[in-house]
Amino acid sequence: MTNITHSQLIDYLLGMYEYSSEAIFFFDKNNTLLNLNPVAEEILESEALEAMLQGKEKSICLSCKGYTNTEDLVTCQNCYFLNPQQDFSSFQVYLETKGKGVLPYTASFHTIDKDEGINVFILRNLTKQLETQETLFRNTTIKQIIKAQEDERKRISRELHDGVAQEILSSLVDIRVMKYLKDPEDVAQKVKHIETSLTRLLDEIRSMSVELRPSSLDDLGIEAAFRSHFKWIEKNYGLIVHYNHEIKGKRFNSEIETVVYRICQEAILNALKYADVDEIFVHLYEKENKLILDLKDQGNGFDVINRVSRGTGLGLFGMKERAELVKGTFSINSSVGKGTEVHLEVPL
Amino acid sequence: MNTDFQQIISSIKEKYELDLVTLAFIQPAQLEYVLTWQFAVGNINNRLKRIVLQSGKGIAGSVFKSGKPILVKNVTTKYPVKDLFNFPIIVSEKIKSFCALPLYKNNKVQGVILLGFRREDAMTEELYETIKKNMDTDFPHFYEKEMAKN
Repeated sequence: MTNITHSQLIDYLLGMYEYSSEAIFFFDKNNTLLNLNPVAEEILESEALEAMLQGKEKSICLSCKGYTNTEDLVTCQNCYFLNPQQDFSSFQVYLETKGKGVLPYTASFHTIDKDEGINVFILRNLTKQLETQETLFRNTTIKQIIKAQEDERKRISRELHDGVAQEILSSLVDIRVMKYLKDPEDVAQKVKHIETSLTRLLDEIRSMSVELRPSSLDDLGIEAAFRSHFKWIEKNYGLIVHYNHEIKGKRFNSEIETVVYRICQEAILNALKYADVDEIFVHLYEKENKLILDLKDQGNGFDVINRVSRGTGLGLFGMKERAELVKGTFSINSSVGKGTEVHLEVPL
Repeated sequence: MNTDFQQIISSIKEKYELDLVTLAFIQPAQLEYVLTWQFAVGNINNRLKRIVLQSGKGIAGSVFKSGKPILVKNVTTKYPVKDLFNFPIIVSEKIKSFCALPLYKNNKVQGVILLGFRREDAMTEELYETIKKNMDTDFPHFYEKEMAKN
């Protein structure tokens, strides 16, 4: 199986231990640090090292700030160090390092000698990898945001050109024609025509302005803004919104109102686009000093984890971002064929 | 004006073996004009009847405003999914190919008729031309050829 002798292998292993870029620690069954390689020594503060070598209880916590599990980015729940029977062959851990603050590491923690209870703890610096990932993520989102912004401008520009400018032009032509009309009846008919056209124009400008930002949100508050928005949705898309509110016209910080309004708007738009439903349920209420928004539909639903983005993919991301702006929490509960539930909580 | 519109669209639906025929008329409401789909045959749900159409928006809106008919042979290839929600009737009725014609009276567009299939490419160029040609007999007193030419 091998071309080298046992002693050569030991030499190689020792060499690896000495010169590896990975930090390696050996612990005994009492969690006392037995040995560590030079890279490991460079990472940890001498104070923490000292405590670990002496086997003081929870001495690892002097350096370890927690690890990433499925629930939290940094947690001490089910500590890998104290419960090594779980699979900790690869996980992310945050360590207080010598002079560089808290850094993320890829770690593995496993038993190499069952009888003696010897564990090995291996660390690889993740900073570089995470930086690359973050830059990649930032670059792609920025690209998408710029595109979304450009698309929005295109839409508004087209609406101005095709709607407003057209309607004004047609009225202008009518007025020019009117100058040469002799029969009062013809004039009356033209005037009526212009009147209709201008009314339509006024309507169009109003609805454009409301679509951009409803003034009722600033003047009358979230409850009223929702009511008129849902009416508009029903008129334009035929989707019935069952609106249930228990805030009695109370006003909140304008930032919070905007966030709640935009998230609800986006969620309804998503339902319109993808859920294939006739009605949607919205519940807005206050509980334990939190403003809570619940949206529910009984439509197609989607696989939250293995999501195949049908749009730009910015919608869900944007909703999360907006919620975080006001320190709120945002969650989506959905599965294929079971409808979708959106839940937003904003602390007041 | 006692024309039975429901009867008219039902016979149009049968004649061309369509999946959906809907009819929108403007109704004067004070100064504004409101355009709604008042008559439908073959519809899956009533969502379309709740929609108040805006001039220039959506299918009926653009036919109403321009006074020109439109033909979409294949909805899937013509509109990307993310833009489709702007045409609620297409989405809620699962229409895959259709045409929409203006209905004239007194030289002005009074309404819009939409003829649709739930199969792709079912509304062919030939069928569209036939429908247009026959519309003044299929829909008496309303369909007149475009007025702009004279």
